[in-house]
Amino acid sequence: MHLDYRLNEDRETDWSSVTEEDLRYRVALGNLVFHVGSKDFSAAWGWIPLVDLAASFAEIVRKLEAGSASETFEFTESDAWIRFERKGEKVLISTSYGEGVAEIALHSASAAVKSFRERLRAELDRRHPQAAHNAAVRKLLGAA
Amino acid sequence: MNFRRLTVFFVAIALFSIGDLSLAQTAQNGQIQGSVDQVTLTRWALQHIMARHWPDSTATGAGKFQAGITEASLRDMINEAVHNGRARHNTHGRPGTIYEYDFQRQIGTTIDGGPASRLRVVVSNRNEVVTAFPF
Repeated sequence: MHLDYRLNEDRETDWSSVTEEDLRYRVALGNLVFHVGSKDFSAAWGWIPLVDLAASFAEIVRKLEAGSASETFEFTESDAWIRFERKGEKVLISTSYGEGVAEIALHSASAAVKSFRERLRAELDRRHPQAAHNAAVRKLLGAA
Repeated sequence: MNFRRLTVFFVAIALFSIGDLSLAQTAQNGQIQGSVDQVTLTRWALQHIMARHWPDSTATGAGKFQAGITEASLRDMINEAVHNGRARHNTHGRPGTIYEYDFQRQIGTTIDGGPASRLRVVVSNRNEVVTAFPF
């Protein structure tokens, strides 16, 4: 599973005052790079709030690990979705915008999401040093 | 016009005069009952919706409103959706409420370019519209 992102340039946001709602809908926008086996579930729409995606994916993995049978990520600006269905220790992944169903071990999905979150956090801190001190960033991406 | 409608009307006029578009809201038939009295469409949110979902927006992967939409007609559609639509909690830790309503007529296009008749409105816990788009 290859889970990555492309973060848009942003010279306008005041990262000292960014709120959770900003992070969920308006800032740290970019593209999702998402390959599982031979399936490409990437979304190059440019407007995807990546902090929201990272936090939501982490929440989804937590719920699957806790025994949930199915969790669906909804994109913020369309009805597109990514569905995660747990089958034993495997997770089946499908989307509304891509063909096919991919399968991955739950522990691999968990590791990929954790890595995604940490890389995004590190890049935001590097690009925008004030993000490191923002409570909403810490809440959604965890402490550095 | 009963007293409640009259009150909502004057509140809407007052908020509009300071730069916000205010919309009456009643309890829903969906998963959330007895919700707020009104939601507000700020100028910032309107700009966000126009950038992503206006007919001339170049944003990909996002539903678009039909040509001819205006600020006023958007306000009317949001009003209708929060009054009559199905309400549910926002997902996976996102704060706020989602309202979805099927207008039974085309209001825009889906991300695939097909006809869209439904509107999704995301409302924050401060009762402000966050985004709204056809699907």
